[in-house]
Amino acid sequence: MEEKEKDRKKKKAGGIIGFFRDFTYGMATHGMARHALKQRSSMEHLFILITMGDMLGIPILPPYYSLRLLPHVVPQITTWKRRMLREKDFMDSMY
Amino acid sequence: MSLAEIFQKYPNRRYIMYGGKGGLGKTTFSAATAYYLAKKGKRVLVFSVDPQASLSDIFERDLFGKGNIEIMPNLFACEVDADQRIKDYQEDIRQKILSMYGMKQIPEEIESYIKASSAEPAMEESAIFDAVVDIVVKGDFDYYIYDLVPLGHALYYLSMASIYDAWLENITHLREQMREYDKAIATMQHEDQIGQDEIYNELMYIKERIGNSSKIMTDTEKTAFFFVVNPEEMTIVDTEKAAQLFSRYNVPLAGYLVNRVIDRSLLEENIPTYLKNRIEMQAKSLKLIDEKFGSSVLSQVPEFDSEIKGLKIIRDLAEVMFEEKLP
Repeated sequence: MEEKEKDRKKKKAGGIIGFFRDFTYGMATHGMARHALKQRSSMEHLFILITMGDMLGIPILPPYYSLRLLPHVVPQITTWKRRMLREKDFMDSMY
Repeated sequence: MSLAEIFQKYPNRRYIMYGGKGGLGKTTFSAATAYYLAKKGKRVLVFSVDPQASLSDIFERDLFGKGNIEIMPNLFACEVDADQRIKDYQEDIRQKILSMYGMKQIPEEIESYIKASSAEPAMEESAIFDAVVDIVVKGDFDYYIYDLVPLGHALYYLSMASIYDAWLENITHLREQMREYDKAIATMQHEDQIGQDEIYNELMYIKERIGNSSKIMTDTEKTAFFFVVNPEEMTIVDTEKAAQLFSRYNVPLAGYLVNRVIDRSLLEENIPTYLKNRIEMQAKSLKLIDEKFGSSVLSQVPEFDSEIKGLKIIRDLAEVMFEEKLP
């Protein structure tokens, strides 16, 4: 796994072309990518909300099957809970 | 038409279910049908998911939670232990989390979520129907006779299944949108490829399972659903209501079987008033059954003078039900 990661980084960072690619990325796409990532993580949280809502007291999905999804969202649960209970936008959108 | 003719005419109907209120004789009819088909040389599995299952009593063997047990050649019986199944399933989930993240212990909030899930209202029904799918998809029997839990459960599940289906449709869609974002981000960041979306795969799996489990009860080609009634006015009225509800969920009704009919010829003998009155009461109810269900009544089974237990009496019952001497 780590090997692979190093390999990938090397490939990405290599040479003058790599430099220009990273440069343009920084200039043009970085902001977009950041926005997309933010959007994506909002969706992730929305997804966990509608599948595991009963953790916050909102029962939605048949528990038998939501358990199947649980292992895949374990790492996100803590940040999700924190965000859901704090997020102003989220509460705004509810009321 | 008789019950035997129904089985001859529709050989594709491999999922046989007897429904009705508790205590009418669903389990005895399931056992007798299994016996009859097994004697005809078909491989038959009769199974029950009721926590108070009585297949064990009927076959005089302890079957609970033990898998498929051979009762006689071609005839297998199985009682699913739903509680144990839920426990095993939760344990699987724990193991999966531990191995996925190399954890030594499940985080507390995750553990309490897993524990709480077994107390959720729909947990048992879901587990039961999932168990049924497991049994049926293997497809290694000619006939599956499903000794159904009391009607409420089945109806509840069918209505749940349609709601889940719509719900799954929505979240799958959300998941697909998230996938689009993943792809866009990967392109922007010059990643060559993005990994499999495991959650999407799980959703597809869940969809298939829920679809399969409701299909087992609603497949007009493969399913035959019989109602068991007793000649008592209240039972008849309730059964009629249940039949209407079932037809709303497209459960294919194959017919009605009347159980516990007291032999009318007894009236000619010197019998106590109590018995006379019962016979007259039944006569009225039988007339009502005829009016309401008419030609859909496939068989009338007399009240037996002993409890239906053990293969010998099951055979006697099967002979009456199918109007045929069995070897």
